[in-house]
Amino acid sequence: MTSYEESPGSLDTGRQEFHGAETTLQNLVLDSQDIVDFLTELAVIASSRLSTPGYPVHAGVTVLRHKRPEAVASSDAQAKALDELQNGFGDGPCLTALRIKRPLLVSDLTGEQRWPYAKAAKANGVASILAVPLDLAGEAEAVLNLYSGRTHGFSADDISTVEGFASQASASLRLVLRITQLSEARNDLSSALESRTVIDMAIGAIMAENRCSRDTAFSILTKASSTRNVKLREVAASVIASISGEKQINTFFDE
Amino acid sequence: MFPYEAGGSGQPDGSAHHSKGAAQRFREAQLPLEKLWMYYYGIGGDIDEMSLDAFLHDALDIPAAQVELISAAMTEMAEGDAP
Repeated sequence: MTSYEESPGSLDTGRQEFHGAETTLQNLVLDSQDIVDFLTELAVIASSRLSTPGYPVHAGVTVLRHKRPEAVASSDAQAKALDELQNGFGDGPCLTALRIKRPLLVSDLTGEQRWPYAKAAKANGVASILAVPLDLAGEAEAVLNLYSGRTHGFSADDISTVEGFASQASASLRLVLRITQLSEARNDLSSALESRTVIDMAIGAIMAENRCSRDTAFSILTKASSTRNVKLREVAASVIASISGEKQINTFFDE
Repeated sequence: MFPYEAGGSGQPDGSAHHSKGAAQRFREAQLPLEKLWMYYYGIGGDIDEMSLDAFLHDALDIPAAQVELISAAMTEMAEGDAP
């Protein structure tokens, strides 16, 4: 993590690696491979549990990110295509279920007037749809979508089975999100501490060299950083290196 | 809007531009507050997260040097986004 410039002269190279600035939980759901795997697993289990010989059920999971729906996981390509189709329309049973935060069953798409998407889904061989939102306690928004080729493709038993899945999955997912968020915060904190050590040290050096106040020293450092378009931390590292030749300043704390 | 003279670092180049933009840039960047604070703290920032929040909502005046650091943090974070 603490990789500084090899020589103080080559300031305009090597940007510090920085993890994406946005960390809303929605982003975590989409960006973390673990979570995508988890949701895929959920879709596969729901699909295989509800499918009967000759009547497959396709399952997909859609997550809202920046208020825009994205299909993140699915039991098969068809489910993904159907999710994406609906997201393209911008509305449909699954997005409605997300909005009202309640499961929504459309047992027969024929003559369904509420969503223009219904006709397109029907053309793709879907006859009934069950959408169950995953309750993530406001942390993120996700919905499990199930598509059947039969009208009345979901029995009362099926619905309670899926609701059971969804609530268990939600509980696990909340935990995963929480852990991911905490470990990310922890990583940010360690790199902040590492960076601050280098910067404080450089500030002290500039104060001693120029007999100036801390604010003035910061001003000198930020000016050098912005005129050379080099990160503050890298300028600070080069200040230290130019005085003592030390290229690696470590900060230790309990891991 | 810019009473940062006292306790600040005078008026370094471009600081008027920085202070004018900070709150607005923050809103546009859709950056989580704690993420910005952590980065700003990491480059030597002095004010706490709640004061940062207040500053970004135009509810608190802070020294010019801190405004500069917040601005630097946002710039560096935005650059970090690019591959």
